Amino acid sequence: MNQPEELNHEFEQDQFERELTRAMRSVDPPEGFAQRTMARVQSIVPVRAKVLLMPRRVRLWAGGAIAAALLAGVFFAEQAHQRRQREEAALAQRQFELAMRITDHALEHTRQQLWDAGVRFGN
Amino acid sequence: MAIADDEFRRLIETHQRMVFSIALRITGDYSTAEEVAQDVFLELYRSVEQLASEDHIRYWLRRVATHRAIDALRRQALRPVAGADEWDDDRSIEGDAPISSISLQARLEELLRALPEPMRVVVVLRYQEEMLPDEIALLLGKSVASVKSHLHHGLMLLRRKAAVTMKEYVREPA
Repeated sequence: MNQPEELNHEFEQDQFERELTRAMRSVDPPEGFAQRTMARVQSIVPVRAKVLLMPRRVRLWAGGAIAAALLAGVFFAEQAHQRRQREEAALAQRQFELAMRITDHALEHTRQQLWDAGVRFGN
Repeated sequence: MAIADDEFRRLIETHQRMVFSIALRITGDYSTAEEVAQDVFLELYRSVEQLASEDHIRYWLRRVATHRAIDALRRQALRPVAGADEWDDDRSIEGDAPISSISLQARLEELLRALPEPMRVVVVLRYQEEMLPDEIALLLGKSVASVKSHLHHGLMLLRRKAAVTMKEYVREPA
């Protein structure tokens, strides 16, 4: 007598568990969940981590580009510094030569005046 | 933290249903479930380098989602947790709406939300995630016997309540 009852009970359990499994299928999160989660993720990522998050190739490329820019900067700065030094040296040379010409001219003028006055130096 | 945005977004899209559903069924609250699920993914973002494979990530997400949802449930006390004793008295059952007015699945979900927390958690992992008792025990850090006990009692209580509120589970006397 009890056997059919037990079988029925087992059947009920199976049916119930099947309904429970059906009821508990995964459900979709609210619309925009992935976007909102990504926004939260990006808000906590520091700049250093953003660089680290770049693909390896991009990081290498960016590192190379930065190094090249630094080298170019140093090179052009050195070039500019040397050009400025050359220009300053040339200007100083021109000023020295002008000063020498002025001095020569003044000395010559003085010598001529003394000569005219009958002053003689040496022989 | 060496994971690109595109790759991480793909992980979210792959696992969001599972994570959100665990959080929803344990906490029983939609907005809390979203908050828990987002927190779980933020935690994944910080830990993803240590996870070796997609299976490892899935297991990790399942474990962390379960624990965070339990934490949220305890912290916020969203619902008074029903004691198992209450379930013995069929007269105390609320919401005896006719089954025709509410879907069977929705009613089962409602019954699930009223289960005491430890039973609810194992029922969710068993019937939503289709995990075996020993897997659930490992995930929760409990003994297999304890998990089987919670599962057994949880199902028994669900059946008892369903028998009262959902008449198709009540056998008519011959």
